[in-house]
Amino acid sequence: MDVTQYLEIFLDETKEHLQSLSDQFMILEQEPDNMDTINEIFRSAHTLKGMAGTMGYKRMQTLTHDMENVFSEVRNNTIKVDSAMVDLLFQCLDALEEYTENIQNTGDEGTNDNEHLIKALNDYLAKNSGDGAPQPAKEEKKEPAREEPKQEAGADAGKEKWREIKLGDTEISVMTEAKKQGKKCLGVTVYVQESCILKAARAFLVYKALEELGDMIVSVPSAQDIEDERFDFDFSVIILTDADAEAVKKAVLNVSEIEAAYVGEVELAQPEEATQPAKAAEAQPKAEEQPKQTVPAAPAKAADKKPISKPIVNRTVRVDIEKLDVLMNLVSELIIAKNSLVSTSSQEGILTNNTFNEQIEYLESVTTNLHESVMKVRMVPIETVVQKFPKMIRDLSKKLDKKMQLIMSGEETELDRTVVDEIGDPLMHLLRNSADHGLESAEVRKERGKPEIGSIFLDAYQDGNNVIIEVRDDGNGIDVEAVKQKAIERGTITPEQAENMADKDVIGLLFLPSFSTAKKVSDVSGRGVGLDVVKSKIESLSGEVEVKTKLGEGSTFIIRLPLTLAIIQALMVEVGGEKYAIPLGSIQTIEDVEPEEIKYVQAKEVINLRGTVIPLIRLNEVLDNESTKKPDENLLVIIVKKGDKLAGLVVDELMGQQEIVIKSLGNYINKNKIISGATILGDGEIALILDTNALL
Amino acid sequence: MDELKEQYMTTQFIVVRYGDEQFGIDIKYVDNIVRMQRITRVPKVQSYIKGVINLRGEIIPVISLRLKMGLADDEITKATRIIIIKLESGDSIGVLVDAVEEVVTLEHSQIEKVAYDSKDTKANFINGVGKDRDRLISLLDVNATFTDKDGQ
Repeated sequence: MDVTQYLEIFLDETKEHLQSLSDQFMILEQEPDNMDTINEIFRSAHTLKGMAGTMGYKRMQTLTHDMENVFSEVRNNTIKVDSAMVDLLFQCLDALEEYTENIQNTGDEGTNDNEHLIKALNDYLAKNSGDGAPQPAKEEKKEPAREEPKQEAGADAGKEKWREIKLGDTEISVMTEAKKQGKKCLGVTVYVQESCILKAARAFLVYKALEELGDMIVSVPSAQDIEDERFDFDFSVIILTDADAEAVKKAVLNVSEIEAAYVGEVELAQPEEATQPAKAAEAQPKAEEQPKQTVPAAPAKAADKKPISKPIVNRTVRVDIEKLDVLMNLVSELIIAKNSLVSTSSQEGILTNNTFNEQIEYLESVTTNLHESVMKVRMVPIETVVQKFPKMIRDLSKKLDKKMQLIMSGEETELDRTVVDEIGDPLMHLLRNSADHGLESAEVRKERGKPEIGSIFLDAYQDGNNVIIEVRDDGNGIDVEAVKQKAIERGTITPEQAENMADKDVIGLLFLPSFSTAKKVSDVSGRGVGLDVVKSKIESLSGEVEVKTKLGEGSTFIIRLPLTLAIIQALMVEVGGEKYAIPLGSIQTIEDVEPEEIKYVQAKEVINLRGTVIPLIRLNEVLDNESTKKPDENLLVIIVKKGDKLAGLVVDELMGQQEIVIKSLGNYINKNKIISGATILGDGEIALILDTNALL
Repeated sequence: MDELKEQYMTTQFIVVRYGDEQFGIDIKYVDNIVRMQRITRVPKVQSYIKGVINLRGEIIPVISLRLKMGLADDEITKATRIIIIKLESGDSIGVLVDAVEEVVTLEHSQIEKVAYDSKDTKANFINGVGKDRDRLISLLDVNATFTDKDGQ
């Protein structure tokens, strides 16, 4: 059976269900009696089982089946949920995740039977409800499906929907012809189980089975509709075959997840008008009630199962991220072309032509909107990465034997897809860090008068052109003295240096490779591979990390990420005759400063701007070129900010604001911190983009 | 590689000139040859990187092979060209040359491998010498020359 085409859907849906299971288990742990949760888990386990079975992943099916059994008992109140059980369930979840990962990587679920888990699950059943416990659950499920056809075979004409198929002249003539040749015309109505996930796949298999037996001449709904899953739970076909009705029925029922099949011979009415109305009349009332309850024989089961059908979601299309990248590049090219139109139009005296200018302006607004829309398409909520964290913290809590809770907010904050894909690991590091180093043990917390349960907060929000993600804990905070000691021990700094270091700089040491203050190496962290990895990862995403900490009260790691990586608004400036772009997001104000206003603090130039002392950075010095301004001229100073730090960048000329497309300088040029990329201006010239964060 | 086959195989080289010396660049690496154009300087990078150019919307770094080989700096003349080379890593780079002469086809029997001499810095860039009629063409080892990222 070829299921590879469904593999992707299977993986996606499995992941969704695993995530939902994980969420529900968390709730279950808090509220063991929450019936909604228990039902939800039962359903997810059941669906997973069905999907795994369909795809032929036996081990996964077995495990989910046993999970389902346990929950079936929980639902019947014969087993109580306790924390050991939740632990076991989480282990099962890990095992399922492993299967899924294996499937994703190799197409095979792997060979781990996870017998201990299955045994543990069955122990629950045996312990709580005697020997026969697993059985009822199984039977309960299978009985309705198996018995129905027996009860109703032949009797229930309303189920034989094929009788309602309206036949055209061509079909009738084909059928008459076939009858003459001694073939049978059989009508077949197939009911797929309502819990079936891949209806189309089932239908396809039924089709295949039928085609082996004979020629299919009519199908309702059409084959195309069935392929697109545009049918409820039943479909009818008429085939011409040599086989008898029983054989056809058997062939159809051989396909798994088929609820029932009704087969009967199609009688060809000689004067066709005569039978048609009669049939129609007979079928009409039944057809009406059909959509409402497709399987009237098992109303209880149906009501129970109804919620399994997926929630109504917006119509979506899955798009390969690479296609979006191509689209984004095209939009970038378009913006460059637009910029060049703008610059030619202002140069060549076409200014007099008003319509031309209007059109250019219109083009500008269209390209800007287009860019925004494409950008939005690429944006995904960070929820996709952070939703796995509650479970991680729970695991950590057990592992570290500390009580802790994770409080998240702003999961809906959106970021560029590429950033979201990369941000998971750094966040995980920071959370582990908080859990391991940050939070104190329960005893210490009690002594300090803090609540026994330590809290870790993960907050995400948008701030201008940036998205901020904060990982905060109410733990011990960073012990600056301890860091200093450690740094001196390791020879990173000398004791003299340590004397003069500002706390901020000391904390900066934490981000150096192989620096860890944990007194003992634990499973969780403390090998000193954490924070430097976090920092380099975030920087590779053009973001930055900042730490705020107060000894005894906790620490906050602030991650600042650009909203988009491709197109930004920038201020174009000239330094020493060269053009540079400064991202608008980091600019606060632009000041005109007289040379006399420059003061010196520690031999560095500063200005006093409305009460704030701001250090000056002469860009021409940083960029190794000659300023075109004379020393006695007023200075053009661009005040930029990074977090709460300010600095004044001295430039020669301002050229105005522009939407620029960020292009990479490539791998060949050595990583240059102050230049974050380049952009192509309207006239084809290149301007380098300054990374003000690296300057501060 | 198959030695025998290689004997009869031919390779095309673009012959470029630095001063009086002729260098051959395997044509399979050459993406394009463009005239000298405005190069935007990039501050604080390797000394032999002249800057970047805009090649049909792509930003391409331009390298001075002269500076890299320790020769005198390039003199920009009318004959100066930028050869766009596509490296195996997928990156494109531009290389300044004094002039582009011609394209030659060399049989492998015409190519003499040079013994590696670690003292001769120039030899590090060359993996063979091609003998075409009575002249000698130094054949650039493109990947060895341009893939090192050390910023001396």
